[in-house]
This record gives sequence, C-alpha cells and structure tokens, in this order.
Amino acid sequence: MTTPTADLLDTYTLNMGPQHPSTHGVLRLKLTLQGERIMGVEPMIGYSHRAHEKMAENRTYAQFLPNTSRQDYLSGLIYNVAWVEAVEKLAGIAVPERALVARVILSEFNRISSHLLWMGAFLMDLGAATPFLYAFDDREAILFLLESVTGSRLTYATARFGGLSRDLDADFPRRAREVLARLKGRWQEFEDLIEDNVIFRQRTQGVGVFTLDQCRAWGVTGPPLRASGVPYDIRKAEPYGAYPRYEFAIPTRPEGDVFARYMVRVAEMQQSVRIIEQALDGLPEGPVLTEGSIGVKKRLKPPVGTLYYAVESARGAYGIILVSEGGTEPYRAKFRTPSYANLGVMYDALPGTMVADAVAVLGSVDLVMPEVDR
Amino acid sequence: MSGVADSRWVAPGGLVAAAEAALAAGFFFESMTCVDRLDPHGVFELIYTFNRWDEPARFALRLWAPKDEALPTLSGVYGIAAWNEREAWEFYGLRFAGHPNLTWLLLPEDTEFHPLLKSFTAPPPSIYDDSMNPSAPADHGGAHDHAHG
Repeated sequence: MTTPTADLLDTYTLNMGPQHPSTHGVLRLKLTLQGERIMGVEPMIGYSHRAHEKMAENRTYAQFLPNTSRQDYLSGLIYNVAWVEAVEKLAGIAVPERALVARVILSEFNRISSHLLWMGAFLMDLGAATPFLYAFDDREAILFLLESVTGSRLTYATARFGGLSRDLDADFPRRAREVLARLKGRWQEFEDLIEDNVIFRQRTQGVGVFTLDQCRAWGVTGPPLRASGVPYDIRKAEPYGAYPRYEFAIPTRPEGDVFARYMVRVAEMQQSVRIIEQALDGLPEGPVLTEGSIGVKKRLKPPVGTLYYAVESARGAYGIILVSEGGTEPYRAKFRTPSYANLGVMYDALPGTMVADAVAVLGSVDLVMPEVDR
Repeated sequence: MSGVADSRWVAPGGLVAAAEAALAAGFFFESMTCVDRLDPHGVFELIYTFNRWDEPARFALRLWAPKDEALPTLSGVYGIAAWNEREAWEFYGLRFAGHPNLTWLLLPEDTEFHPLLKSFTAPPPSIYDDSMNPSAPADHGGAHDHAHG
C-alpha cells in the first residue's frame, strides 16, 4: 500500500500509547492523521527493555533459564523449551523420549492458552466483552493444568538440559483429556458467538491486509503470515523435538485481513488439540531427565561454535542465535522475536486506514511488547 | 555455523547487492546479529540470516565490520533492517551510511554508552538511583527530595 500524500498543514500528530488499553503493553504509536485517516505511523518501542541479551552474557546457560519465559510471558514455556533445546544441540546432550513428548504436550497447551488470551483481549478491543469471559474461563483450566506440572502459571522454567525438571504425574493424562474435551465443546460456541456476528465481520473483513511483499520486507511470520495464504510453520519447515511424529495441518486463509488472522488462530487451537491427543496416546514411559546428564547444578561448557535454533512460538518464528567460545556463559545470545517483525510491518500496513481500524489491526497481530523490547 | 543451510562471507561493499539478490530470490529478512570481536580481532562480526517460505532454507550472510567504518544500510532493501541496524548502533556503536533514522530504538534517548560491548561491564551511576553510587549520602526519607531538588 502506498502512503497517501497529504498537505502538511492538514495533518496532526496523535500519540497512541504508551498507556493505551489496546496496545497490550507499553507501546507508543506516533500517528500522523488527516481527520481520522492515518497518513503515517512510527512505533516507539523499548519501554520494557530489560537487556536480556546482555544478561545472557553475564550468567551461565542454566542461570539464564528463568529469563527465557520472561521474553514472551504468554507462551513462555515454548521459549523456555527453545533455549534448552538450543543449548542441547550446541552441547550435544541427549534427551529421553518421554521428555521430548512431554515438552510437546506442555508447549501446545501453552500455545492454546496464549491464543485464548489473545482472542479475549482482541475481541474486547473491538467492544465485545462476552467472549473474554469464555476465553479466560478455558485458559484458566489450562493454566491450572500447567501449574500442576511446572509450579508456575506464566513464567515457566521447567525445562532442563537433558529433559524436564519434573515428570508428568500418573493422573496427568486424565486431567489433560478433560481439558481437551472441554475445549472441543467450545469451538461451535465460539463460531456461533463470534464468527457469525455481523459487527465483528464488518470491523475485520478487508481491514489491515498484509501483502506478501510486505511480509517479506518486514519478516512477518506466524499466524499473520499464514492468514496471508503462506503455509509456513517452523514445526513443519524445520521439524524439531517430537513434532515430526504427529499429524497436523497448517491452517491458512487467503485474505490476509484481520478476519483471516482470527480464523487462522482458531483453527490452530484445534490443530494443537489434535497434536496433544496424539502425544498423550503415545506418551512413552521412562525417565524425563537423562541419567547423569549435565543438569542445572553442574557447570556446562558447550564447545566453540555458532548456532541458529528456531521454533514456532504462538506468535511466529522465534530464533535463538547462540555464540559459544567454550566458556560457562554464552559469548553472545541474540533473540529473533516474532512480534518485533510483526510490529514493523505496521509502517506499511497502517497508512490509509482509520484510527478505529488501527486498533483492530494492532490487536490482530497479537503483540507481546516485552518480547519486542527484550 | 550450525542451523543454517548455506553461509557465505561477504565484504561490506558487497552486502547490499547480496541482500537485493536474496530478496529477488524470494527470501525474507529473518535476523541480524552483531558479535563483539574487538578483542583480539579489532572488528565486529555481523550475521544476517534470510529464509524463504516455499522451500525453507536458512541462508546466512556473514561479514567482518571494521570498528570505525560505516557499513552500508539494508533498510532500502528490507524494511525491518532499519530497526536491526538501530539496535547495532545503540548497543555496539556501529554506524550505517544512508540510514534514514539512526537513533535509539530500545534504549533511553540520551544513553551515552554502548552496553553490549564486551568492554562495557557495570552500569554507570544513575542520577535517579543512588544505590549504584556508594559515595552518595544514604537516603533518609526526606533527604531524597532535597538531593534531587
């Protein structure tokens, strides 16, 4: 989309944020407006910068574990597992089968809980208060389940180099299946309540379209890219962990608009349920931490090397670039976070839309600001 | 480098042409990493990675960036490169010739140090935080207001 030209005298600047309810975290958008139409946008970020990359250089690989889930606090378990798997790959640490499968189960539950929170908050931005209550009710059931295994509700640090810190208890599969059954009963309700709502459709269809050229220039990944018709998912593109052994589809939509991004996420939750069911069916017995593996208490020194490790987080492609010089701390750790690129595309996607549409477009990409700022 | 399908070293002068070729071949801009190799090499190591959706294959462009030389910007080829380069500037002091807006992205807008340099170790004492400065008088309630006027 080309930026409409405007007479400078007719335009004015509006700061949206940093404390705006629809920015979901501290994000400031400097909007140049002509009436209600957006002529230009400058996202101002960094409000929740905590220097995770510097912290990574100043502590051991294990000491950095709690930092991982604080980058994206909504799918923190996926980030926690990503860090552990990156270090395992760099140091050549084996992982028992049961831990690999358990990581998939927990990660997919975390993905659903993240999508549910997004769904409630996004629809709340559009003025629909009811779905929020349904979404949070279901999310609570998942958090309760995850808490029973990990001990935390949001900032998980349960993965270990060589496995998991705690095993799934004997009763876990039963409780997990209960949550899945409850979720499966919800899809039809969501469809009736949200998708068929005429106001929701008019506010989202044809709004905030991301073209493929924009996605390429800004590095858009995850549900926003799949809503533009590209079946790109790291779980299929670069299979990791136990994912290759499960059957699941990559939902896509051709439209590229806000509505498509909603539909893709709902379909993704259903695919996650499918993955968890297969994983529960084939959950192997055995230990969840390799006997005699380099656990947290030992000093871990991966060999010299540079590694790129990618996983699919709830928001898109998350990458860890890890440089080891053979020491007990990483020489350099860089985090390629999906929201960073998915926010950058706003430079191209917002101009030409109205202020009210900006709320819908911003909400539809599911930004987590601590992940953008790191 | 592990985790990439193909990796190539380029000279700074060949960077823009290489990125343009990547875009023409359908690659998207994935990441940019700067590594401090000043001690002992006197240069920064830059790792740009690109990837594609249809036939996923991560492609890395790597280069040695001399300490006091401006690099060409990729912001004219890939939009998101502008933010990545602003990060390299604020965290390492790298400059990019032709960058449209080379200013602080994540750090406060008056930061005078480059915190990801290996030579940077402790945060400088802040005027807002006496706890970093052992010579500052202890804070006894009202004294705080006085100190900061």
